[in-house]
Amino acid sequence: MKRLIFAAGSCLLWAGLLMIQSCSSAPEKPSAYVVEIKDMKFVPEDITVKKGDTITFINRDMMAHDVTEETAKSWSSGKMEADVSWKLVVSEAATYYCSIHTVMKGKIELE
Amino acid sequence: MKKKTNFIPIILASLLGLSFPSFAQNSKLTDPEIASIAVTANQVDIDQAAVALKLSKNPDVIHFAETMANDHKAVIGQAVALVTKLKVTPKDNAVSKKLTADATKTIADLKKKSGKAFDKAYVDNEVAYHKAVIGVVEGTLIPATANSELKDLLQKVVPALKAHLEHAEMIQKSLTK
Repeated sequence: MKRLIFAAGSCLLWAGLLMIQSCSSAPEKPSAYVVEIKDMKFVPEDITVKKGDTITFINRDMMAHDVTEETAKSWSSGKMEADVSWKLVVSEAATYYCSIHTVMKGKIELE
Repeated sequence: MKKKTNFIPIILASLLGLSFPSFAQNSKLTDPEIASIAVTANQVDIDQAAVALKLSKNPDVIHFAETMANDHKAVIGQAVALVTKLKVTPKDNAVSKKLTADATKTIADLKKKSGKAFDKAYVDNEVAYHKAVIGVVEGTLIPATANSELKDLLQKVVPALKAHLEHAEMIQKSLTK
């Protein structure tokens, strides 16, 4: 009887542990970040995110900007007029720039 | 070959009191005059960009000129919207008149050049012009502006002028290689 109770208790304990483990290993929901384009800068200039997270770029300047991947030009927002925003789902680390104002640069790093 | 001097930055700086203190001391700029100077200074760069777009074959210079035209048009758009809202009528003054007159002369000089000589003259002028304008906007126009919204607009323009200067200097370096 004692053995039966011990076995049942052990099973419950393992089941509980498995449940906790399955909860803790559930995929995290992607996070949302904002990068403002203001005073001819990307703010923040350097952002660290996870793969799948979303960055919304918002143009707060009076002149148009864009957000363009710098190395291979693999992605670009296209021309963003004042107050226009653009979302990027991050798939890899990147350096980017404004192809209109080439002195404006930013960086996306992965955790 | 005699090197021509571009007088716009010198005149812009000097008329606002950097070399002609008597002018600055005897006439305090008003907001309508400051608005006129701001619009004129932007228009000068748009007009010079138009010449570059006609005469340059250099992709970097063309791209820079397009940026100058678009950015300064955006600034004028904001300035016009603001003065309309504030019911301020930009008032022509000695500085804005001189800016216009000298821009006409600079454009005439630029039109006499072509090829690499044009590119160099245009970019050198842009570097000098932006340096002078930044100095005057920060040192004279912003402190002299009474209306807070007009002051804010001028302050917002400074980072763009500095980015333009950095961009122009970058091209200037590439042209001398």
